[in-house]
Amino acid sequence: MMGRIAWKLLPAAPALIVLFAWWVYWTIVQPPPSVIPSILDVVRTGAELAFGGRLAGDIVASMGRLLGGVAFGMVTGMIAGFIAGLWRPVADFFNPLVVFFNAISGIVWLPLVIGWLGVGNALATFLIWNTVFFIIFQNTVLGIQLVPEVLEQGVRSLGGGRWETIRSVTLPGALPYILSGVRSGLGFGWRALIAAELVGATTGLGQLIFSGSEYHRADIIIFGALLIGAIAMLMDRWLLAPIERRTVVRWGLVAASRGR
Amino acid sequence: MSADKIVVSGFRHFFQSDSGRVQATGEIDVTIREGEVVTLVGPSGCGKTTLLKAIAGFITPSEGQILCDGKPVRGPGRERGVVFQELAILPWRTVRKNIAHGLEIAHVPKAERDRTVERLIGLMSLNGFEDRYPHELSGGMRQRVAVARTWAADPDVILMDEPFAAVDAMTRLTLQEELGRLCATTHKTVFFITHSVEEAVFLGDRVLVMTKRPGTIKAMLDVPRPGKGGRDWDSFTGDPEMRAISEQVMHLVHAERV
Repeated sequence: MMGRIAWKLLPAAPALIVLFAWWVYWTIVQPPPSVIPSILDVVRTGAELAFGGRLAGDIVASMGRLLGGVAFGMVTGMIAGFIAGLWRPVADFFNPLVVFFNAISGIVWLPLVIGWLGVGNALATFLIWNTVFFIIFQNTVLGIQLVPEVLEQGVRSLGGGRWETIRSVTLPGALPYILSGVRSGLGFGWRALIAAELVGATTGLGQLIFSGSEYHRADIIIFGALLIGAIAMLMDRWLLAPIERRTVVRWGLVAASRGR
Repeated sequence: MSADKIVVSGFRHFFQSDSGRVQATGEIDVTIREGEVVTLVGPSGCGKTTLLKAIAGFITPSEGQILCDGKPVRGPGRERGVVFQELAILPWRTVRKNIAHGLEIAHVPKAERDRTVERLIGLMSLNGFEDRYPHELSGGMRQRVAVARTWAADPDVILMDEPFAAVDAMTRLTLQEELGRLCATTHKTVFFITHSVEEAVFLGDRVLVMTKRPGTIKAMLDVPRPGKGGRDWDSFTGDPEMRAISEQVMHLVHAERV
């Protein structure tokens, strides 16, 4: 029983250690607040932002862009990944293009894309899509290629056609890799989102942080960073982890974490 | 005399490898009659799996042809079920859903599907495990599911590629008895590959012996049919006739040591 509780609390331990180190450093060194603020300052600023108005709107705006962009990247990445994974010639044709474009950060396109799409949600969606698509695409292709051929042969000898093998073998077989792609995609999606909001938005957590940097408010910047990290963690635990528990963990394809 | 179910004539197969063409089998002619259990025993690498895969339709023969019910085999099909050596049941389906899969594909109504699945769960002693996933089962249990899945789809011919090679020796004896019983009660045409002489004689109505690579059929021995309900290992080991056949096959296989 004690063991189980300890396992549940384990993920919180690193955060507590970092907070403690921060507090110790701040108490001993007493740095200027524009370099490193105290924990108390950050908490106070957070409360002010939360109750003073703009925070909820910023979170909603950022989440909307993130989920929109990630969903768009996921759907297109999976479709393209399935086409390339199932037809070898297609994969050979597109692979050089994927490697080529994957290397080019969304920021490179930014000046051009602002001209095409203007400043706004379309810009953020494009930047997020530009990172998520490649991750999902490559994971999907890999996942499909790693499904044991014998599983497909088994279904074919039960009378299953092409569509049946895709539905009952390829899709669930590739799921561990697709989900792992979704996990990385969400993380990189956040990075792209903040970059997009710094230059091309009037609301959102990226703008909140940008406003903090304009006034040298380290407390706002750190609060924004903590908030992004916390939301990302919660999404992982409450969105992705339950899906994994019901699928790839349930099927024994991926080992369950002991704490869950 | 029953009708010919599978006719393999002039079969030879080559693989393309980095170092050129590799001959996988010599010339093979085999006829499997309806309702008989033919076992094939041969040294590893002799090409027995290649032959089975060609009959299953997973590979196209380099030479010769394979007929099923007089029609050339052009790919896998539900009339030829396969039980594989490696685990081929789907990890994301429960025992029940795995066994029902072939019936689902054939659009068999749910009530009938459930009846068939129940019957096979009983026959293969899988009671109580219906809603488990394969990773929760022992190796022997998983192979039982694989056998049940193939039988449930009700193919004309069942091809088995060393299905019990990976399970422990004790479980293997039980599985062999169960398979023997299943064959005897369902009158299926079965082609069973193994490298175990005892297994070949125990299960087969006819035992084929293959030479080492590139393998050809070296000998063919008839085994007297077991009584109703299949064989069991106790009476098998005590039967002098069975022992004589086993010894004979052993000598034939022994000469092919690699």
